[in-house]
Amino acid sequence: MSEANANGLTETEVKARALDLKSLDNPRAMKLYRRFDGIIILVLFTFLVLGIQIQFTLTAGDWDYWIDWRDRRWWPLVAPFSLLLFIAPFTYGIWERVRLPIMATAVTTLLCLVSWLSRYLNFYEFTHFPLSFTFPSTYIGLGILLDCALAISRSLIVSTLIGGGLFGALVYPINWSFMAPYKVPVEFNGMLMSVADMMGYQYIRTTTPEYLRIIEESTLRTFGGSVTPLTAVFSALCGMVIYALFLWVGSWINGLDKYTKRII
Amino acid sequence: MNKLLARKTGLGALLTGLILVLLAGDVMAHGERAQLASMRMRTVHWFDTKVEPLNVKVGDIITVTGKLVTSEWWPKHMPSIEDTVFLNIGVPGPTFLRLHSEVNGVPMMRSTAFPLGKVYEYKTVMRARVAGRYHVHPILNVKDAGSLVDKGTWLEVAEADGDAPFVNEITTLTGETINLETYGLKGVFTWHLIWIAMGVAYLLYWLVRRELFIPRFIRIREMGSDRANELMTKKDFVVSSLFFTVALALILGGYLWAEHKYPITIPLQTGLVEVEPIEIPTGGLEVEVDHATYDLAGRSLSMQLKLTNNSEGPLRIGEFLTANIRFLNPDVNEGEIYEGEEMISKDGLTVSVDTIQPGQTVDVELVASDALWEQYRMTGLIHDPDSRFAGMIFYYDENGERYFQEVGGAVLPNFF
Repeated sequence: MSEANANGLTETEVKARALDLKSLDNPRAMKLYRRFDGIIILVLFTFLVLGIQIQFTLTAGDWDYWIDWRDRRWWPLVAPFSLLLFIAPFTYGIWERVRLPIMATAVTTLLCLVSWLSRYLNFYEFTHFPLSFTFPSTYIGLGILLDCALAISRSLIVSTLIGGGLFGALVYPINWSFMAPYKVPVEFNGMLMSVADMMGYQYIRTTTPEYLRIIEESTLRTFGGSVTPLTAVFSALCGMVIYALFLWVGSWINGLDKYTKRII
Repeated sequence: MNKLLARKTGLGALLTGLILVLLAGDVMAHGERAQLASMRMRTVHWFDTKVEPLNVKVGDIITVTGKLVTSEWWPKHMPSIEDTVFLNIGVPGPTFLRLHSEVNGVPMMRSTAFPLGKVYEYKTVMRARVAGRYHVHPILNVKDAGSLVDKGTWLEVAEADGDAPFVNEITTLTGETINLETYGLKGVFTWHLIWIAMGVAYLLYWLVRRELFIPRFIRIREMGSDRANELMTKKDFVVSSLFFTVALALILGGYLWAEHKYPITIPLQTGLVEVEPIEIPTGGLEVEVDHATYDLAGRSLSMQLKLTNNSEGPLRIGEFLTANIRFLNPDVNEGEIYEGEEMISKDGLTVSVDTIQPGQTVDVELVASDALWEQYRMTGLIHDPDSRFAGMIFYYDENGERYFQEVGGAVLPNFF
């Protein structure tokens, strides 16, 4: 049994680490590493795509399924909340261990791709809903902003304040570019409706009645009637808090490796 | 050998699963028997449900009409229909387009509230969208309680004559005529492709490099977390800044472009609408329920009623309705039977007194018996935690004018 040095490593461990470092100059070792890296990407991305699909479906599903759920108050709060709590722990782990600022982009891109697959197969082909009523939202740009904030600042704190804030604040603007047509007004039976409301009424959902929608309702608590900017500010704040909180969760999970070392 | 056996077993199981999936039949009902018997009897009484026509082509119009009475015996522990309810239609998804719906003449695009013990006349107009054979049910979705389903009617939808794709056009308040089947999809596809391309490009930049997970892990472990940032190169900084700027510009540019292209937009619309209920036309008949028994062996519900005719003409009881099942009195023969109507017992009601004369008070026994009690799982009534019943009696004057009202009370089982 070797004695531990000042870093708490045994002599054997020190030698092993030196060999690991030396292996980076060995083309054969590097070829093997690249193969393992490929396996890591495959496993990690598979886990991410399955995880985020279940997580997002359970927490923000209906807001993302139906265009007549994407309102100005609840959806811009719920969607970033749901995404950031999933992204943050992975970001912490990958950043601490390999300094790759990719998790937010990876999660949002994979979510977008799997959502399109689901909408096409489950909603369009299987249950006949038109894609114009059930297309997914996009959060990829927000993921890029969050990751880039980390890559540029190289600081989890700064990326929380800037990236987390932008992620929360820009949910509505990033989707507005293709969502605006669905908020054009329509007159129907003497009542005002948006195109999205009209689609929700016409394309029958037996178990999703109108009242089930968790959307903005009239309230006395307004700030000059400005709903979207107020929600954006509040969502930015929530984005920062949630991201920070779940980075901490990530750091706690990351610290669990001391137990695996003992087992090994 | 074991591996080969395991593979064969696995393949066999997979094939069996696939065959079972392929052999699965059509769903022939939509929960009309699922709910507790007493809940079906004491919530909403649907009647005069009419779906027409029953054979259509894609693009044709179908009208569903009917009436309902909200039960005075509504279970107190259950969220009430007096708070929030939505008139819906039970079909397999958007196989039909809902063009119009109304209750007592009020359009029902939104939710409403129904006071108890009143009559509501509803109408839903649909356009067939997908060919097939469908069981169409009017439905009321009651907030926090669940769905109340009327009986279903089978409807055949054949393919349209031409090959043209289905079109659903409306005109917006900005004067634009749009097809909701494909509206806005060009923008949706374009922006999604732009963002997917951006996301993939960003990931490729970081993932396609000589040293990725394992080499970087080895280096960071050697350098320590204080110096780990040295792995981030100047190129990484520049590329990240570029992606950050482009993403932000696209978001803000896209937003401003959409604001410019669609200057008039509104928030999603919601809120309850109000419906004026109709009073129940009792026709001057006073009804008092003395007691009721359910005969398990005979599959019959027997009600002892005290009836007082305060009207000016004789009245005859022609029908008892509960849980969407109609029991008709063959001696009166007044109740209309609609094309394709289900859950109906044409001679299921016997009444001990044929005619109740004006001013007369009589004790009457009503017996509603049929195998439908069993078929629609109504025998579960005696196993429910709240064994009470409710239903509607329909009666007619000498001119054939129909009146009705609700009866209800405790029900005792007769096991022998």
